[in-house]
Amino acid sequence: MQASLRRTLWISRVTFLEAVRQRFFAFLLVLSAAMVLSSVSFRVFDFGHGELKFIADFGFGGMFFFGSVLAVVMTAQLFFSEIDNRTALTLLAKPVSRAEFLLGKFFGAWAVLGVFVAVLASLQGTVLWAREQELVAQAEQAGRIPTTFSFGGLVQLALLQWLRLGVVISIVLAISALARTFLFAVVVGSLAVVAGQLQWIAQDALLRPTDSPVYAAFLWVSTRIIPNLQQFNLADALVLGASAVEDGAVFAVFLSGLAYLAAYLTVGALIFRRREI
Amino acid sequence: MSSAISVRHLTKDFRIGLRGLKLRAVDDLSLEIPRGQVYGLLGPNGCGKSTTLKIVLGLVTATAGEISILGQPSATSAARRRTGFLPEAPYFHKFLTGRELVRYCAQLSGVADADVDAAVEDALGLAAMTEAAARPIGTYSKGMLQRIGFAQAVVHDPELVILDEPTAGVDPVGSAAIGNMIQAMRAKGKTIVLCSHLLGQVEQVCDRVAIMDRGKLVLEGAVEDVLARRDRHVLTVEAMTPAARAAAEAALAAHGATVTSVTHPRRSLEDLFRELVTGSRDA
Repeated sequence: MQASLRRTLWISRVTFLEAVRQRFFAFLLVLSAAMVLSSVSFRVFDFGHGELKFIADFGFGGMFFFGSVLAVVMTAQLFFSEIDNRTALTLLAKPVSRAEFLLGKFFGAWAVLGVFVAVLASLQGTVLWAREQELVAQAEQAGRIPTTFSFGGLVQLALLQWLRLGVVISIVLAISALARTFLFAVVVGSLAVVAGQLQWIAQDALLRPTDSPVYAAFLWVSTRIIPNLQQFNLADALVLGASAVEDGAVFAVFLSGLAYLAAYLTVGALIFRRREI
Repeated sequence: MSSAISVRHLTKDFRIGLRGLKLRAVDDLSLEIPRGQVYGLLGPNGCGKSTTLKIVLGLVTATAGEISILGQPSATSAARRRTGFLPEAPYFHKFLTGRELVRYCAQLSGVADADVDAAVEDALGLAAMTEAAARPIGTYSKGMLQRIGFAQAVVHDPELVILDEPTAGVDPVGSAAIGNMIQAMRAKGKTIVLCSHLLGQVEQVCDRVAIMDRGKLVLEGAVEDVLARRDRHVLTVEAMTPAARAAAEAALAAHGATVTSVTHPRRSLEDLFRELVTGSRDA
């Protein structure tokens, strides 16, 4: 067990080093950081919401969008570069199991996304804090109750975003284990992210009565197979305290994310075990 | 003692296209590769050599047949722990240095933490890569890539080393260096399976050879046995005059022997090249 863990960690380490050297990672990180920093300039387009909410929505929206692009494209690229360049031949000819290889890829990619989320969340926190100081001063002068945000909530939300991106990585790895080409994995992986974002529609439909058992079965299966990626969107509740979070809701989302992550990695490992290199 | 590799009735079919047409890459192959020898696996491109090696290493599943490595079923971690592999045209992460790559492979191969440093330096020394070990792999020449590939294959001191085209694209000096590494491994009692198109080198370093064609085994045996023509003899004579030659032919004819050809001995172009460029390295 310890030896297996060590092999997995070594593969993760090299995967991480390979990923952070990619220009694609640096490009998306800079682009996302610019988006978070520029949110202050765009706050006049706040659509009637509070400024801090606009800044938080803008920043976390960018974090998820660019994070998802990174999770899909980078994960598929890291997987297929090993297959196409035949470095996987060298690795898998050693006492490394297919599951260890896949887990190593997962943890390496997830660590890169961890850096991505941490950098953006830090910037987001700084921007929110700076604007909060100005708003508090203005509110005190006007005798109003100031709008604030929660640092603890920001950290929780960043962790949830990281978990959400982990779920995306595990889905892309499961698809890559089956796919023959990088392009197929990226296209299907992207569709899976879109389906995850829209999964709540199927959940709503499932709650409505229907005469068709086939339709109901389809919805039931869809809502089990496809994770609801919208459930991780708790910025309003956690960061701004705009709405209440039910007891245990964050924990339930956390557990749900971990369950999907483990399930997709298991499926990926089972598929990859039969793949001929 | 069991064979290093035992292959019994191995068959591999690949499915091609949507209709699933079968392509038989390996056809009822049986081989016993003894321990402690250098074994050459030869054949033209597409004859099933690399597929056979991949099946042995568990990278591809067999359609039928049984394989064991050092007495253990192949495709198990335990069997692979005792095996080293250098793939054809190896590619490694370019950002790693040679030493980092060999260390990485040592860790994956189960070398104990306390022994890693010594194992890495031993493997680098064996592959004559110690001086270049601190450089990123992206700066290596083809010959150096093969040598660092050899180092990663032997860093865990395996009992069996499988080399798939280790000299492909390497100049004769580099090729000779790899030949020396193979000899050094044999001197340590290791079993080496060598897949190569350089027949001259195979002839020099291998104890036994197997020749495959269209997935089937067409010849197997000790190099001396399969190459020797017991009904012919070669005499090398210095300062032979025409008169001496005529006398020798007459003497042989008197005993019923016939001289079929008289030529001047030649050295190989490879020997000449190596002699002229001895000492140069492809660093």
